[in-house]
This record gives sequence, structure tokens and C-alpha cells, in this order.
Amino acid sequence: MIWQLDVIFCLFVIICAIAAINVKDLLAAVIILGAYSFFMCILWTEMGAVDVAFTEASVGAGVGTVLFIAAVNKTKRRSKD
Amino acid sequence: MKVVALITVLMTGALLVYGIEEMPEWGDPNSPASTHVSPKYIQEALGKTATPNMVTAVLADYRSYDTMGETVVVFTAAIGCVLMLRKKRKGEKGEGD
Amino acid sequence: MLEYVLSKYNFWTYAILLIIGLYAMVGKKNLVKKLIGMNIFQSAVILFYISIGVKKGGATVPIFLGDAHAAHGHEIIIDAAHYFIPLPHVLMLTAIVVSVATTGVALAVLILIYKRYKTLEMDEIMKIRQDTGA
Repeated sequence: MIWQLDVIFCLFVIICAIAAINVKDLLAAVIILGAYSFFMCILWTEMGAVDVAFTEASVGAGVGTVLFIAAVNKTKRRSKD
Repeated sequence: MKVVALITVLMTGALLVYGIEEMPEWGDPNSPASTHVSPKYIQEALGKTATPNMVTAVLADYRSYDTMGETVVVFTAAIGCVLMLRKKRKGEKGEGD
Repeated sequence: MLEYVLSKYNFWTYAILLIIGLYAMVGKKNLVKKLIGMNIFQSAVILFYISIGVKKGGATVPIFLGDAHAAHGHEIIIDAAHYFIPLPHVLMLTAIVVSVATTGVALAVLILIYKRYKTLEMDEIMKIRQDTGA
């Protein structure tokens, strides 16, 4: 494992998390959450947890994002904070 | 509201930092987690289950009841979603319509 | 100082992510934002467990690298220092699937709340509940 790459991905994950809770558009927030999940996936692959990484990529980032988008589509897209 | 949330969160963060101070060095092969229970699983998984992948050996052989419970949880969640989001038939009273 | 921070950067990342998720759950008023915070919180905990399973010094993923069929029936000595710890991986595999199930149920409840109150902001919902006395 290359620690410089690891630190860069940790920073990306933190930036994605902060962006996901600060964006006012809920659809954008959900998509950023999907990007966050994929970065988390890369981090876990680097740490040797390959099974966890591909479960997260398919179930967490894929199915979770689809569920979120369906729910946002049925409700309001704007949020006040 | 925001100030109370911020104070709560910062206090939790201080507790977390205090906990991380006590953690062993990251990736240390002599840490308690890697010397106590896990070597037994790593050494015996291939001989007892004939599965090269240790994660699936533990998931489906040593802890298969746990996995069965997990599928029960997912099934219950699916049933709950369907019951909450189905279209109501005529004459049936329900929330929201 | 920098060396001290870098020696445990995974744990620091976990602490920061957990704080962000907790703040979103407590401080934000929109219900979808609260759910996003819950997801971030869960992956932070999962990151912590996966970090525990790492061993430095020549360890690889926990998959037996030799010929497994030839190994069947014979005694094979496996050095535990050559593989990462598989137990946290297994537990977190279960945790990810369960977290998606809880997210699905929470989103279904959220759609029901929207059908009834026509809003997703927590303060407006509380105000409507006080006005109607329900």
C-alpha cells in the first residue's frame, strides 16, 4: 500500500462528505454521496478488504443511490439547509 | 439548534481523539487484534472448509447462521417497504390519500 | 507532529467522518440530509473496523494463494502474518447489506411523511403538528 495515495483518497472522502451535507440541491447531494461511496471503495481495496469493497460498490453505491434518487424523485428536490 | 448540535459534535470529537490516542500503531502485526483470535481462523480455514477465500469461509461456514439472519433482515425490510408503499385498493382506508 | 498525524491517518479520517455524519444527523433540519448523515456515519464505522484488520509488513488479501486442490487432505502450515485479518471484513460485509436495508425502510417512511405533511423540513412538520394538535 502506498501511503501518499491513501492520504489523497482520505482527503477526497472527507471533501465528498462535507459537500454532500452542505449542498442545497438534494439530487446533487445524493450523487455526491454515491461518489463518496466509490472513493470509500477504493480506500478499502487499498487496505486489502476486496470483498467488502465490491459489496460496497454494488450494494452501497449502486442500490443505495438508486433508492435515494427514487425517493427524492417522489418528494421535494430543494432543501433549506 | 445549530450551536447545540455543534457543541455536542465537538464533545464527541474530543472523546474520539482521546480514544484514538490509546489505539495501537496502525497496521502493527503485534497488535491485540492480529495476535489473539484471528490467527486460528487464518490457519484452520483452509483445512476445515476447503475454501481458499477466508472471508467467504467465515461468512458461509463458521457464521452461516449469522448470514441467514442477515437475509431475514433484508427480507423483512423488503416486506416493510412493499407494505408501506403499495397502492391502496378502493374502500381501504390508509394514510396519505 | 506531522509524523504523529500521519502514523494514524486512517483513524483520523474515521473520526472526522463520524463527526460530519453526527453533525448532519443532529444539526440539519431536512430529513434527507439526516439520512445522508446516517450513511456517512455508518461508512465511518465500517472504515474503522477495516482499518483494524490491516497488517503491515508483507501481508496480502485473505485468500489462500497456493493450489487449494492439491492442498486438500494434507496438512498445510499457513503463516498468519502473511494475510490480513478476515474477521472484520466478514462482519462489515453483513453491516453494509443491513445498512442498505435500513436506508430503504427509512426512505419508504420518508415518502409517507411527505404524502401526509407535504414537506420534509423538520421544523415545518413540528409546526403543522402543533397547529393541528395531532
